[in-house]
Amino acid sequence: MNIVGEVLTTAIPGSVALLYPSLGELISERSGVTNLGTEGAMLAGALSGVAVTIATGNPWLGVLASLVAGAACGALHAGAVVWRRANQLASGLVVWFLALGVTSVLGSPLNGQVIDPLPAVRIPGLADIPGVGPALFDQNPLVYLAYVAVPALWFFITYTRPGLTLRATGERPAVVFASGSHPSVIRFAAVTVGSALAGLGGAQLSIGIVGNWSDDMTNGYGFVAVAVVIFARWSPIGVLIGSYLFGAALAVSSVVQANGIAVNQYLLDALPYAITIVVLVIVSGFGRSNAPESQRDALSETQ
Amino acid sequence: MTVRNDEALAVAPPRAIAALLGFAARIPWKRIGIVVGAYAACFVAFAAFSAWQGGNPLTLVQTMLNSSMLNGDALVQTLLRAVPIGFAALAAAIPARAGLVNVGGEGQLILGAVAATGTGLALGSQVPGPLALVATAAAGAIAGAVWAGISAAARVWLGTSESVTSLLMNFVANDIMLFLIYQPWKDPAGSGQPQSRPLPGSVRLGTLFGGQLNIAVFVLFAVAIGMWLVIRRTGWGFALRVVGGNPEAARRNGLPIKSLLLSSMLAGGALAGLGGALNLMGVEGQLQPGVTTTFGYIGFLACFLGRNDPIKATLAALLFSAIALSGNGLQLVEGLDGSIVNVLLGAIVLTMLAIGRKNGERI
Repeated sequence: MNIVGEVLTTAIPGSVALLYPSLGELISERSGVTNLGTEGAMLAGALSGVAVTIATGNPWLGVLASLVAGAACGALHAGAVVWRRANQLASGLVVWFLALGVTSVLGSPLNGQVIDPLPAVRIPGLADIPGVGPALFDQNPLVYLAYVAVPALWFFITYTRPGLTLRATGERPAVVFASGSHPSVIRFAAVTVGSALAGLGGAQLSIGIVGNWSDDMTNGYGFVAVAVVIFARWSPIGVLIGSYLFGAALAVSSVVQANGIAVNQYLLDALPYAITIVVLVIVSGFGRSNAPESQRDALSETQ
Repeated sequence: MTVRNDEALAVAPPRAIAALLGFAARIPWKRIGIVVGAYAACFVAFAAFSAWQGGNPLTLVQTMLNSSMLNGDALVQTLLRAVPIGFAALAAAIPARAGLVNVGGEGQLILGAVAATGTGLALGSQVPGPLALVATAAAGAIAGAVWAGISAAARVWLGTSESVTSLLMNFVANDIMLFLIYQPWKDPAGSGQPQSRPLPGSVRLGTLFGGQLNIAVFVLFAVAIGMWLVIRRTGWGFALRVVGGNPEAARRNGLPIKSLLLSSMLAGGALAGLGGALNLMGVEGQLQPGVTTTFGYIGFLACFLGRNDPIKATLAALLFSAIALSGNGLQLVEGLDGSIVNVLLGAIVLTMLAIGRKNGERI
């Protein structure tokens, strides 16, 4: 296989593991709540996915469990932020910390247990496209679902009534309240659903890609997701681009290592984070932020 | 004369009681009750979780106290571990006054340790002791300040959210450290372990009172009190509070907002870097993987629990240090996973977050 195909084949599944939490974060932030607990939701999703798959032998039940675990983390964050009006960043970090502790304790018996990852489903015809075909169309179903999820979310927030309400909640909660909806309820739902997607991202990591659980395996993906949403300027299409950029950076480093090119592993490991930071800084340097209005405070963008 | 004295005697007791009653009435009993109840609820929930994991909930508290406070050695360990956590807490507390969120304490601690290692190894045997000691600690502080300064500069001039950049830079910092100890700084005599050469004795903090305690913890307390004074009593501290509390008012009063934001973050980064350096010089002695192990994040949570007040944040850091340390005891005595204490830490902060509003105040 040529090196481009190799990078793509590694990049696509990794990008999808970031795409889901980023989309989840997008939904959450569009409603006006920043969720740093995304990292925790991914951990919870990754662990529960593996645990349920081992217990039942059915990876799809694992995927379902990861959604539930992610949603539970989201509900915790939403409860603190929406109901108790707690500081969003602090609450998100605490949810992550809690999830880190719980998954590390509950996951320790599962360390080293290997499961079969979700099987790849080859799409006939498309997978035979030379070069990109196998990378794009010979993957597990969660990857295909991600292809659909981006346009679906874009359509949802741009053209549907509930999507409009979601956006309005992030911009002017008072208007939403006046029009007869409850901003708190919408935020709670948005954070919970977003976190469930983050859990799905965790499942893509643990049962979609590697097929096991290891302590702290998400390694900052959830935090990167928060950055991706910012430089995506809160648009699903931007999230798509951002996730694949990060995934590509990640894949380049692992392919470089696999091909035995002598670059220090840890400098390569830092590359995706460094790229994310640089892109984030550059993008935010251009023009006005189009963050949802209630987000500007949360991300301290007021000056 | 005697009559007056009698009068005074006759009047005094009721006054004293009234004063006591008045004092009692000013104590926010309800609030104290809620807070104590919340801590109790956290411990009960934690005990239940531990019991599920095979621990004994009845001996749990005893084990935790034994391994963190109740004997001299454990108490010293708690104080030693409070150094990185406490400095990381201060690193979050100072920028928080100006409304900035520094989640990068972890990375700043790491780079502080990295810079201290580099400086200590380079200077250690050539420069007279005290100078090398100061230079090593200062190098840590500078590295921490530079690392935090990157986030601050991006925030001030480009409007990038400093919380996100400082958070992501933790991962970069960790990879930088791993790179150094796996390749250029790897100790040739380290039997293959990824670690730097040990610091020469001249840049190690001496032990006090014949035990393992060193001066770092007293530096922490002094810095915490100093920062408390700086924030309460200096113009800079006041200006920070204005910028954090009401940026618009600060702007209209012509306060130099950019330099205030920058300086607060630089000060915070320097504190975390100093903490990383002191921890290395006092406890670790050489750079190795996991030299901070989430102390930076625990410090952020401690700062949060201490409501961004330097002294309260340091006290919270002591509490968290004790809890973090009691994980060892739980592992050895109760056979639980040591990281179970993170559950307790998270539960405490989450609960405090949920009840954390007082007169509409938000932290």
